[in-house]
Amino acid sequence: MDKVILRIFHFFSPLLEKQGIDVYRMFAIVETKLKMDKRRVYLQMRNYNKKMKENANHLTSVLFVYGVVSLFIAIIIASLSSLVICMIAFHAYLLFMMTMTLVTDFSTVLLDTTDNQVILPRPVSSKTLFAARMVHVFIYLFQFGFVMSVLPIIATAIKFGIGPGLFAIITSFSTTLLAVFFTYLLYLIVLRYANEQKLREIVTYLQIFMTVLFMAGYQVLPRMINLTALGNDFSLSWYSYIAPPVWMAVALEAVQKNLYDNLHIGMIILSVFLPLLLFWMLNKYFAPSFSQKLAAVQTDGSIEKDIKLRKRNKKRLSENLSPILCTSATERAAFELTWKITARDKQFRLQFYPLIGYMLVFVFIFVFKSGQPLSVLWTDLHHTQKFLWFIYIPLFMAGNSIMFTAFNDNYQAAWVYQSSPVISPGHLVSGSLKAVFTKFFLPVFLLMFIFSFAIWHISIVDDFFFGLLVDLNCFLIMALLSKHYLPFSVQPNVQRQTGRFLFAFLQLLIVGFLIGLHYLAIIYPLGFFILIPLAGLSGYFLLKQIQNLSWQKITF
Amino acid sequence: MNIISLSNLRKHYGAAYVLKGIDLSFEAGQVIGYIGPNGAGKSTTIKILTGIIPDFEGDVTVLGMDIRDHAIEIKQRIGYIPEQAAIYDVLTPLEYLTFIGRLYGLDQAVIDKKSWELLRLFDLADKVDMRMNGFSKGMKQKVLLISGLMHNPEIIFLDEPLSGLDANTVILVKEILSQLKQAGKTIFYSSHIMDVVERISDRIIIIDKGAVIADGTFETLKDKAHSGSLESIFTALTGNQQYNSVAGEFVDILKNG
Repeated sequence: MDKVILRIFHFFSPLLEKQGIDVYRMFAIVETKLKMDKRRVYLQMRNYNKKMKENANHLTSVLFVYGVVSLFIAIIIASLSSLVICMIAFHAYLLFMMTMTLVTDFSTVLLDTTDNQVILPRPVSSKTLFAARMVHVFIYLFQFGFVMSVLPIIATAIKFGIGPGLFAIITSFSTTLLAVFFTYLLYLIVLRYANEQKLREIVTYLQIFMTVLFMAGYQVLPRMINLTALGNDFSLSWYSYIAPPVWMAVALEAVQKNLYDNLHIGMIILSVFLPLLLFWMLNKYFAPSFSQKLAAVQTDGSIEKDIKLRKRNKKRLSENLSPILCTSATERAAFELTWKITARDKQFRLQFYPLIGYMLVFVFIFVFKSGQPLSVLWTDLHHTQKFLWFIYIPLFMAGNSIMFTAFNDNYQAAWVYQSSPVISPGHLVSGSLKAVFTKFFLPVFLLMFIFSFAIWHISIVDDFFFGLLVDLNCFLIMALLSKHYLPFSVQPNVQRQTGRFLFAFLQLLIVGFLIGLHYLAIIYPLGFFILIPLAGLSGYFLLKQIQNLSWQKITF
Repeated sequence: MNIISLSNLRKHYGAAYVLKGIDLSFEAGQVIGYIGPNGAGKSTTIKILTGIIPDFEGDVTVLGMDIRDHAIEIKQRIGYIPEQAAIYDVLTPLEYLTFIGRLYGLDQAVIDKKSWELLRLFDLADKVDMRMNGFSKGMKQKVLLISGLMHNPEIIFLDEPLSGLDANTVILVKEILSQLKQAGKTIFYSSHIMDVVERISDRIIIIDKGAVIADGTFETLKDKAHSGSLESIFTALTGNQQYNSVAGEFVDILKNG
């Protein structure tokens, strides 16, 4: 598709030439940028790209995913009767997705400083470079905007008539402009109060948020489609007119019903002209100061960092925890290393942090499934024994956490384990496991406990105590059953193929067995008095097993 | 007519001046070694001379033109090979060179011919269609070298160009540089590897903390410092004679504690 758009731009070549833009060089830049866009690894594809061949077009796959999601929106439009509700949903979706895509994905393009070193030394005028950037951004936005809105627009045209359909093209365009405006605004605000480093951090967390959202979207959206009950006659309260999607929806209503009173005309003006005005202002006033700020931030950043380094003398949390939780120097070393790398490594955060978010989705799916309405489920909740879900859902991340601490892009740095005189590599493994358990598992478990305590009160305290021990046992068993890797020592691409199924099955069996024990203990409460010490003891022995692993048992 | 001249060149980042008034001029056809310790201002000077950093104090002319007013014309006629392997590494070498060639306004046929043959000379013929993210630092450096020379520039600026290259390539690059010199090119070369500069430079500039502290041929600098290799000249001139005591302290700390 980008080729087609580029060809259209070629028609404007004489016009651009007249503006003092070097068209030959501009297209050289744009074409290269588009080529690189296709090869970038996209957030939504991260889990699949291992299977993909190198020269597969990642961008096409991402666009396809967006297309599928917009199909849902098209179905919603087809199934709801009120144009205003449909259009609010559609434009809100478009605005949100475009902004998020721009912030999380395109930021890598925007914040890429390689440009400065590759293009600046070449004879390219700043005007040409600016034009190339604009064309590139335009093509990027157009591709995403197109796949996100084409199906919903077609659905609108079929259901509500050609007029609204055509006008929806304009409002989609306006919405995209607004998304660009909001993205810039976000960057400006962040850069105003923080440095580029912080901006990248924030972008990482937004990416994590996006991943979770996609997952939740797949689970929740299909369930919502049969909410056709949403009424035909609903009224907008005055404050809802603050939201841009409402302007677009009401403006479309004007076209559909030929209503041109003050309100509707006002909304048409807001939805068509305001975005143009904002975009114009952005180009005129914000964009120059933005690129200046970005450039300034890049040169100043390193100096600030030095000062910060010198200031730091305080011990970190992991350094305070490790003497309490670890039994040997080796174990402490692995504990602190794992704790710190899991906080700082971007790849790890992108892969693992979403799993924590998924657990909330799991809670929603498992605890609130069944056909009854939510309010009934909620009031009945404390009569059930669904707290068991809250105890054992954290186990979903156990297996993955063990795996992810083994893999790292910087796996080569693991040579230190072999070059240093480590006698008991098992302590490296156990230290790393302790760090993961303390850092990720315990907080989630605590959160589940607090939530459950609010519903079931004191009666579940013993269950959670026993549950924690069972979780710990399961965690250690999984670690013992899987291959033993030293922390962050394995190349990410050569992952985990062999014996996965058997391993997962065994895991399930053991977890199932232990939860079965828990059920028994609920029926015969005295069981806890036997089971709790037993679980504690077995946990201790499992840990010893791991600590005593010899070099022969370690996989490289 | 000087091909490059700098007068009272000053540059600051924040409050700190990294270049504190540099006055130099060079004739065409020279090989200029520009050396100094890390943070001396080598890269900053080169980035100003190549028009990458446009804001500075003082005057700079390259090829007889003011760099502030004629940056594009100057860039067209000079080549720049940067220090770190800053490269679009999702592209293949051929794609990257095509891209850079087009930025210099070269014809597609010329680009194709030159890239192929130059890559072949650098032993990269079998890798022309592989993406560069799997390349070693040395292989990327070779591609960068080609990309900075492809348009046959009159002045060549090299910022630590030999770092990461294997021994054979280092010899090859040195030979290329001396033949470029014979072809009448001016080469401006920054390095902290002493012996490289020693052998191929007509003139050596030593800078430290943003100021020129020595300027002359290898011979004159040698007389000045009354010692053998450039390394000791460098040490004498930059005033770092305490290496001995630092080394001693280093070993002492290893022993204790």
